[in-house]
Amino acid sequence: MSKANFEQTLAEQLANVDKELQPDKDLWPGIELALSSEIADSPPVVAGNKMYLVAATIAIFGLIGWLAVNQQPVSLTGVDLVASLSKQHLEQKNALLVSFQDQPALTQNWQDQLIELDDAADAIKTALENEPNNMALLKMLQSVHQQQINLIERVHSPKWQQMSQI
Amino acid sequence: MANQGNVVAAQHKFATKSEWDLIKAVQNGDKQAYNRLYQTYIGQVYGLCFRLTGEKMLAEDAAQEVFIQLWRKIGNFKGDSKFSTWLHTVTSNITISYIRKQKGWLQKMFNIEDSVAMNAEADESSSSVDIESYVARLPERARIVFVLHAIEGYRHEEIATMTDMAVGSSKAQFHRAKHLLKEWMGYE
Repeated sequence: MSKANFEQTLAEQLANVDKELQPDKDLWPGIELALSSEIADSPPVVAGNKMYLVAATIAIFGLIGWLAVNQQPVSLTGVDLVASLSKQHLEQKNALLVSFQDQPALTQNWQDQLIELDDAADAIKTALENEPNNMALLKMLQSVHQQQINLIERVHSPKWQQMSQI
Repeated sequence: MANQGNVVAAQHKFATKSEWDLIKAVQNGDKQAYNRLYQTYIGQVYGLCFRLTGEKMLAEDAAQEVFIQLWRKIGNFKGDSKFSTWLHTVTSNITISYIRKQKGWLQKMFNIEDSVAMNAEADESSSSVDIESYVARLPERARIVFVLHAIEGYRHEEIATMTDMAVGSSKAQFHRAKHLLKEWMGYE
């Protein structure tokens, strides 16, 4: 069969391609769930008490984190430890996001950076599924979690915002 | 006021009033409106995601990612182009980024070549087989370029920007894709 035939057949088949395809399952519930955890949906915080709330949140979750880290070797290992670390981190992160929801962020792309760190954490957790007691991976996961917390605090910190205006 | 008039005119030029109202509602945080927008455009978004990824599950995840990120990005849509065109570009960019993240990590960990799909057995080597199944079998970079250029109509310069590759590489990948399709369709 000739080259011309191929080009013609290809062109005809491409012209008949239906641009729209429907997924086998409804994707909306997953999207809605993800959007529910977006900052915009979080309940408003009274502006005057914000800094106290932020400080209290950091202190409480810092204490919980310290207790968790110091007690986990005794009570949790492997998959349970990863699940516990992830749960605590999610709670800490969400609490911080709620605290800062009405405060302007220093950069425009901080949420993209947050997602990239989420992806990194997911990749480490996938690796941990095969090696749940790998300490190097566990430390990497904790490090990524800490980077997220630092990022959220840094982009909303008045100190950093003032420095950026200098 | 004159400016405002121009903006309204531009909006009506590229979108029907009902579509523009829907977009404005979404931009104001209306989730029910966003669900209607999802219902309207899921076919377009998923279709593009499926062709770019070549896999149903990846395409579903990518389409979800598109609509999650679209919620944050839709405020950037000013109505100076058709919404479907703008959404098309957003979908392409997010899906390509998604493929890189997913496959990049797997490839680093397990050294998976992008020719896995290409080496899969086809049902038959004939032009009667659906072109879509051949496109899905193409190696990743060749598939992305072929889909964006031959099906979606992007220029190689635009594809180069979207995929972070040189224009020459985009053309080479397109040539590679066509060569493989030609072989698989029994023309060589």
